[in-house]
This record gives sequence, structure tokens and C-alpha cells, in this order.
Amino acid sequence: MSPGLRRYIAIRVLLTIPMLLILVSVVFLILRVLPGDPALAVLREGASQEQIDAFRASLGLDKSLPEQYVEFISGVIRFDFGESMTRDRLVIDDIKTFLPATIELALYSMIVIAAVGIFSGAYAAQHRKSAADYSIRIISIILYSIPIFFLGIIFQMSFGAGLGWLPVFGRLSSGMSPPNSITGLYTIDALLMGNIPLFLDALRHLILPSLTLGLILGGIFTRLTRANMLEVLEQDFITAGRARGIRERVLVYRHGLRNAFIPIVTILGLQFATLLAGAILTETTFSWPGLGRLVVDRIFDRDFTVVQASILFFAVLVASISLVVDILYGFIDPRIRY
Amino acid sequence: MKSPDSKQSTPISTKPILEEDIGLLRRFFRGRIWYGTEWYITVVGGLILFFITIMTISAPWISPHDPNEFVGAPFVAPGGGPQILISLTDEQEIIDTMQISNLVIGVHRNRSGDKYADTIGAEKIRYQSQNELIAGLEAGEINYILIDEDLEEELQFQIPSMMVIARDLGLRFPLGTDNLGRDMVSRIIWGARTVLSVAILSALLSSSIGVTLGLISGFVSGPLDRVISLVMDSIYSFPGLLLAIAMVAMLGPGMINVAVAVSVIYIPTFFRVVRGQVLSIKEELYVEAARSLGAKARSILWSYIFPNVIPSIVVVFSINIADAILTEAGLSFIGLGLPPDIPDWGYDLSKGHSFLVAGHWWLITYPGFMITLVATGFTLLGEGLSEILNPRLVKN
Repeated sequence: MSPGLRRYIAIRVLLTIPMLLILVSVVFLILRVLPGDPALAVLREGASQEQIDAFRASLGLDKSLPEQYVEFISGVIRFDFGESMTRDRLVIDDIKTFLPATIELALYSMIVIAAVGIFSGAYAAQHRKSAADYSIRIISIILYSIPIFFLGIIFQMSFGAGLGWLPVFGRLSSGMSPPNSITGLYTIDALLMGNIPLFLDALRHLILPSLTLGLILGGIFTRLTRANMLEVLEQDFITAGRARGIRERVLVYRHGLRNAFIPIVTILGLQFATLLAGAILTETTFSWPGLGRLVVDRIFDRDFTVVQASILFFAVLVASISLVVDILYGFIDPRIRY
Repeated sequence: MKSPDSKQSTPISTKPILEEDIGLLRRFFRGRIWYGTEWYITVVGGLILFFITIMTISAPWISPHDPNEFVGAPFVAPGGGPQILISLTDEQEIIDTMQISNLVIGVHRNRSGDKYADTIGAEKIRYQSQNELIAGLEAGEINYILIDEDLEEELQFQIPSMMVIARDLGLRFPLGTDNLGRDMVSRIIWGARTVLSVAILSALLSSSIGVTLGLISGFVSGPLDRVISLVMDSIYSFPGLLLAIAMVAMLGPGMINVAVAVSVIYIPTFFRVVRGQVLSIKEELYVEAARSLGAKARSILWSYIFPNVIPSIVVVFSINIADAILTEAGLSFIGLGLPPDIPDWGYDLSKGHSFLVAGHWWLITYPGFMITLVATGFTLLGEGLSEILNPRLVKN
């Protein structure tokens, strides 16, 4: 590893810290400074002043804002998220249960995004300004404009309720018990256990949610791939290859796509935040027990400690993905240095 | 891109016509020649939005019902909902409306039967509920009642001696009714108002803050620029919907609150575009010339840089409205959007979702289609405008 690369990685890792700190502060501001008293929300009407005061004291809401902020940040640093306010368990246990479901959904959606986006984007670039190119473009604009939950419901109505081919709710059929938690991803755990029926069941439950999420984001991805491919296809080595008589299909899909791959993977990493935002709605539509579903459920319960911690984990997830992508990029492309 | 047409429409000249030679307005109206397909995208987007705008403005006049009024039976299928006149007496069928208008008819208050009795001028007795109405008929309080056609089978079972003496009376619901018997057409029409006002308000908020910050940040550079950029990049890299969810949960439901929550997540989009543009415009010769002539910083920013950023702002604004519409619908779908008395497509969609298994597809399809249509309209317009107003932006 060259000194330049080492310096780049070190700076990139250090830059993640202020970014996370800013996000943590924004979350703190939203949950503590905006109007809306959690004590009143949790205790509802008819609570006496003593009850309210006791509740506020138990949450530390009676202290001054700077004090609360310091306490909050030090809790985050010590990885101490406290207890759930509505259920008798630690916040971190909730996160451990729900986070893997979101990661599994995100992973399978990534596969759909890559498959849809790369091939339609490359095809559109190859046949630039043809009817196929324009159709792909229009379809990707429309896909981008469909609310994710609407597409999800259409899939539920057609493949689920209508044809009865695929399950439309949850991660497993009701008779199945989840595999031993090794990674928390049901498909991988089931394979590790060697339990094929369980694997297939988990996979069947994943199809519609990941297709929904993947298609919507695939629309954005198609356009980015197309733009990148157009740039690559204009380069000299493609012309040289064409002059040597290499077939057009080989040129586009082997030589071209390979060179467009680096920016494409970077964009896929950057789209991760959009993917997670979409995952929240997909999870709500398909009753998928993930982190987004956890936030939405607990926000109605006014379980602020869980909401706070879940949002933090979303931030950490996004920050670490973009960190990994940037570092990989540094390895691949020696021009990228601070 | 020049098509052969452009040669025919201009007098023969040795000097080639460049895009820069003609005005913005002429470029817009002759767009088909200059921009080819890009032009059609703009026109289609514009037409969709024109149709939606007309619908929004004329909602009070074209909406057949109040969107919150329970006007029909629940779950009337699209095109259904006509009334039937029922009696217990053994009477022959009445076909003539004149004859019906001479009767004294029992109706369910505020339902379409009630309205129908008014339109034909019949004397009516209003009952508070369907059950009271049927009880009234059984008890002989009233000889004729108007009920929804959908309830015929149910009633036949309840009172075997009943006779249908007239059919197909009153209005139909072209798009059906929802789970509470509200007219879907009216909800769709009024929903457009809600969606557009929230989206445009939030886009105005985020553009005014984002553009100001972007101008300042790009113009002054230095530590201030670095701090603002870091904050903006952090927010930009975060799943925006989550922030909006947390904000709406704290602020409570309401149109202004939702607009504020949605606007926060799109400030960085405006910021990044404007800042990037300012950084490049700052280096242009005419800015340098102004500076060397002793122009003040504020006048350089407002008179030289800002006008050149406007085309990009217009493009981002249009696409931002599409995003805001989708986010607002997402919030409503989760159940965190607007109070229930404001007709809203996202809310209707989430209500429909809970009746999915029952197969009432129209509760979902129409609101979902409308959200997609409006979002597509703004995206197409933004896409087309970006090519027409600022071809450089797309190429970069």
C-alpha cells in the first residue's frame, strides 16, 4: 500500500466522524428541540404534574439542552442506547432483531437494481437514439415517478392475491421457524444450516419486496449506466477495437461495460441512502420486519429511545457503505487522492 | 441537434445559425426543430401539468360531491351506485320519473338517494341510517324507499316480500366509492389540490434556503463554505424520508408541517447544484471584468452570478416537486401525513391497502395512478427544460 493511498484512507475514515456527528446532532435537534413533548405523548391526558415531572426526569428531559446533548453523545460513543420506552428490553436487542432484515432486503434489491440497470442502460447506450433507447428512457422516468408502495401493492394484488404465486407479507410462511441466527439473513443462515425448504421459503418471500425496490431504483440506475456507457463508447479503444473487427456486442458488453463499471459501482454505493429510504416504504407495504418498519411502528408508540437509535443505525449504515465504496475507489483508481 | 427542417425554415445564408444566436422564447417555440425528442418530453410533461392545474383550480365546480361526505354505499365498484325504488306493496313497475316525483320517499340522509329525491322534486323523509330506513319500510311508516342497488340482494334476504319497482335511478360513481362511501372522483379532484399545495410549498421553502446557502457558500469559499458543505453533504447522504418521518412525528399532522418536513430533505439538492454553478461562473471573464471595474461583492453576486444560476434552479425545482410529491405520499402512506379531513391520495392509498385482500382494486389504483401521473409530469418537464434551458448541465 503506497503512502498516498494510506493517507487517503486515513483522511476518508476521519471525515466520516464529523459526518456522523452532524447527523447525530440533527436527530437530536429534531427529537428534542422541535415542539412536541414526549412526556405528554406517552402519558396521554389525565396525567398529574408529578407523573409528568417524574417521566421527564427518567428521560433526562428536565436537564438543560447542552447537558442533554453531552449525555446523548456520550451514550452513543459508549454504544449505550438505553432501554426501550414501551417494551421491557434493551434498545440494542431490538436493533439486532430488525437490522438484518433490512440488510437482507437491501442486498437482494441491489442484485435486481444491478441486473435491471446495467443491462438496460448498456443496451440503450449501444442503440443510442433508437426507439429502444427512447422507450427505455421513458420507462425509467415513469418507474422513477411511481410511488414505491404503489408498485408494491400492484405486485401484491397481481402475483399475490390475484394469481396466488408468491407470498405478500413477512419474511417466512407461518409454519416455518426462523433459522439459527448466524448472520441474521434468513436465506444465508438457512443455507448454512443446509435447510433447503427453509431457504426456498425465505427466498420466495424476498422476491416481491426486492423486485419492488429494485425496479424503482433500477430506473435511476439505468440512466446513470447509459450516460457512463456513452462516455466509454466514445473512447479511442472502442474505435480501435471496432477497426480490428471485434463484434459490436462483444465491444459493448465486454470491453465497454468493464470500463464503465467503476463509476457504476460508485453510483450504486451513493444510491444506498435512496435505497434505504425506499426500504422503509417497502417494509411498510410488505410487513417486512426491518429497521424502517421498527422506526415507523415505534414512532406511533412514541418510543423515542428506539427511534433515536434506529435512525443512528441508518446513518452508520449509509456512512460505512460510502466509506467502503470510496476506499475501494481509491484502490482501483490511483488518480483519486486527497 | 439540427434536423433538415432547420435549413428549409431559414433563408439561404452562408452563416450557420448557432443555438446562441436566437432568443430563449424562440428556441422554446421552435423547440421541435432544435431539440427533437427533448421537445416532445417537455410538451407531454407540460400538458399533464396543465390538465392537473385546471383540475386543481376548478375543483369546487367540477367535483360532483364533497370529498368528505358519505354519499353512497361503501365499496361501490366503478360505474356502480344507481338507486332502486323499493316498496312492499304489490305494484307494477314504474318507469316514469314523473310518477316517482309524486311519491313520498324514504331516503338515507346525505346519500345519493337523498340527492336524487331533490333533483326530481319528490317529497322525502330522511333517515339517519340504512337500518332505520329499512325498519321504517317494514313498520309501514313509509311506502317507498330509495336504496343503493348493491344492497338489493342483502335486502331480498332480509325482507323477502319486497318489490323493486324502479331501477337505475340517480347518479352513478364513475370511479366507485371508498370504504366509507365517499365518492372517489371527488376525492381524486380535491386530492390534487392537497398534493400540489404541499409539494409546491415545500419546493419553495427548500429552494429559497438552498439557493441562498449555495450562493453564499460558492461565492465566499473558505472555512464557512467547508462547514456549510459538510452539513449539507451529511443531510444529503442520509435517507431523507427518515428525517421527514421524525419531523412530522414531532410537529404533528398538518399541511404546513408536512411541507416543512419535506422541504428540509431537499435543501441540499438545491445547495449542491447552485454552489457548483457559482464556482464555475465565478471564474468567467465577465465576472472578472465586473470585479476589476470595482463592482461590489453583493452586486456581482446578484447581478452577474445569480441570473446565470436561474436556469438550473428551474430544472431542479421541477424535478424537486416530483420528489416532494412522492415523499408526501410516502408520509401519508405510513400514516404520518395530513389530518384525515384533508383529501389526500397517499392517505387514500394506504386506506385501500388495508382492503387489498377483499379485492377492492379501485381504492388503490386511481390514487396511485394520479400520484404517478403528476410526478411523471414534473419529471418530464424538468428533464425537457434541462435540455432546453441549459444544454451544458445535461452534458456534465
